[in-house]
Amino acid sequence: MGRIALTGTASFLGGRLLRRLAETKGAARLLVVDVAAPPAALDVRHRAVDLTEPAADQRLLDVFREEEVEEVLHFAFYSGPRRDAAHAHELESIGTLAVLAAAAAAGVGRVVLRSFTAVYGARGQNPAFLTEDRPLQPNPALAWVRDKLEAEQHAASFARRYPDLKIVVLRFAPLLGPRVHTFYTRILDRRVVPVLMGYDPLVQMLHPDDALAAAEAAVDRSVAGAFNVVPSRPIPLLTALHLAGKIPVPVPHPVAYPAADLMWATGVGEAPGGFCDYVRFPFVADGERARRDLGFAPRYASRDALMAYLGYRHPHARLDAAEAPA
Amino acid sequence: MSSRPKVVPLRPRVDAGGAAPASAAEAARKDGLLVAIARAVEAGRHGITWENVAALWSAAYFSWHSEEVDEFGRDAKFTETIRPLLEFLYTMWWRVEPAGVENVPAEGPALVVANHSGVLPWDGVMITLALRHEHPARRECRMLALDMFALLPFLAPALARTGAVRASQENGERLLRAGELVGVFPEGVKGVGKRYRDRYRLARFGRGGFVRLALRTSAPIVPCAVVGAEEIHPVLAKADWVGRPLGLPYFPITPSFPLLGPLGVVPLPTKWSIDFADPIATADYGPAGADDPILVNRLSEQVRSIIQRMIDGRLARRRSVWFG
Repeated sequence: MGRIALTGTASFLGGRLLRRLAETKGAARLLVVDVAAPPAALDVRHRAVDLTEPAADQRLLDVFREEEVEEVLHFAFYSGPRRDAAHAHELESIGTLAVLAAAAAAGVGRVVLRSFTAVYGARGQNPAFLTEDRPLQPNPALAWVRDKLEAEQHAASFARRYPDLKIVVLRFAPLLGPRVHTFYTRILDRRVVPVLMGYDPLVQMLHPDDALAAAEAAVDRSVAGAFNVVPSRPIPLLTALHLAGKIPVPVPHPVAYPAADLMWATGVGEAPGGFCDYVRFPFVADGERARRDLGFAPRYASRDALMAYLGYRHPHARLDAAEAPA
Repeated sequence: MSSRPKVVPLRPRVDAGGAAPASAAEAARKDGLLVAIARAVEAGRHGITWENVAALWSAAYFSWHSEEVDEFGRDAKFTETIRPLLEFLYTMWWRVEPAGVENVPAEGPALVVANHSGVLPWDGVMITLALRHEHPARRECRMLALDMFALLPFLAPALARTGAVRASQENGERLLRAGELVGVFPEGVKGVGKRYRDRYRLARFGRGGFVRLALRTSAPIVPCAVVGAEEIHPVLAKADWVGRPLGLPYFPITPSFPLLGPLGVVPLPTKWSIDFADPIATADYGPAGADDPILVNRLSEQVRSIIQRMIDGRLARRRSVWFG
């Protein structure tokens, strides 16, 4: 059996997947392809490749050939917006292109790509449950999601051109749970949370254990195509904020977009205005296909993920007191 | 004095084996807010903290919202909270007179198709109430709401909480496959924003999307005629130049709106009737029928003419807009 190469092992999900696979598949079958070295205790092979360098595809091709890689797990994506958008673009869009090109040229059998349910775009016209064949129409003004969309478009085009290369795209709902630290958990850690006045979409929050289980289910399985990895039930945004004991401050949406952009540009804000879409309209995805073809059934609902996160952040708080009027 | 406990000890909200469930739920709802206010008063004596403010806010919120919603966002407690208002409108304000409710199947999927009018989707709310209260099986009808209602701030979350779902083939199909009773208004925005002079003249029934929905899921179609709703907001004219910049598909001008401001959204107390016709079976055509445009159009026209006939019959018998 050939090796399983992992990228993005310094990311939260990539790192956890590396540890899990080292236990289940054995460290000898794994290869870390990343600029950062994996923890020495894991004792896995490491080849340093920078996905943002111009000849990354050639370098990856050499590595994949030398190490006899049969499967690539590509998890090198940023979960939050970056101020250095040019770097993020090089890593996510062009980096994915390099990984796919090298995998196709080296005769790698399968590529698993980490993606986001946010690539569907939050729209008022969305159905209550987005299925995988829904066209991807995110807000074009948002660089963060544009890079993810381009990565998915590269994957779709390679899947067409190289039928032997099986590409699995895992679209994860936003993660929330123990040890998750992202731009939205930083917002959630505040007492006062801005919301859009008059909007209360259903949101999905995925427990990291479920995310890991789905990623693991996709390894070594002969499937191809996109799969939504989502929690068992969505939750209304305001309900989630009140369960967390936050004080939501309604902001009219015509003000919110430019204000968020301004705060982002001046370095105060956590995210640019394009993210307002995601607290305005729903982007709830349907997990039926993953259940059927990956055998992945979520163990946690969005509410459980939220509660797990709150328990992790405030281990001494009596959460049942904060949410008393049940 | 300084040893006074910070949190007032309170009796447990629901007794272990106490009153009937319905009244216990009622008590829990009332208790929630009272307890929160007591907490806030107590907090005020020790200096207001963020935690107390957040707890009061949260208690106020959960006193009329539940913590769990169904997969489309329907909130049982919210529906319960606004029920008295809706029942007042149903029994006292519009004195709704349903007929033929038993034509709606007692179980399994079905598609209720009705005429749309009244600027705001009150007709949908009243159809839901008629089926919930008068149908022998107490059926819960999920209305498919127009895009414009599902996008408007404030109205969109409120509709979702009461069980309405944005109108789309995907949503309708998912509900029908789950065996739900679904209500649609094929006239869409052309119907709800109809002018007063066009009342009770059915607009075009979209492109037959509702027929395709019924054919694909083999759900019977129940034509439904609402009379009375078309007079609650007599639209004299439409000022599109006001509505468009606000993101509204139309901006109605009625005798009371926008002249009387917020009072203008109070609907007129007309007398309503809601008639349900015999269901039209679609199972015989099979799901493939959905791809036959001629069949779809024929069924669509058939439903339209049944509804128009029911409306005309009611109007001929009606002596007064206010008293029926």
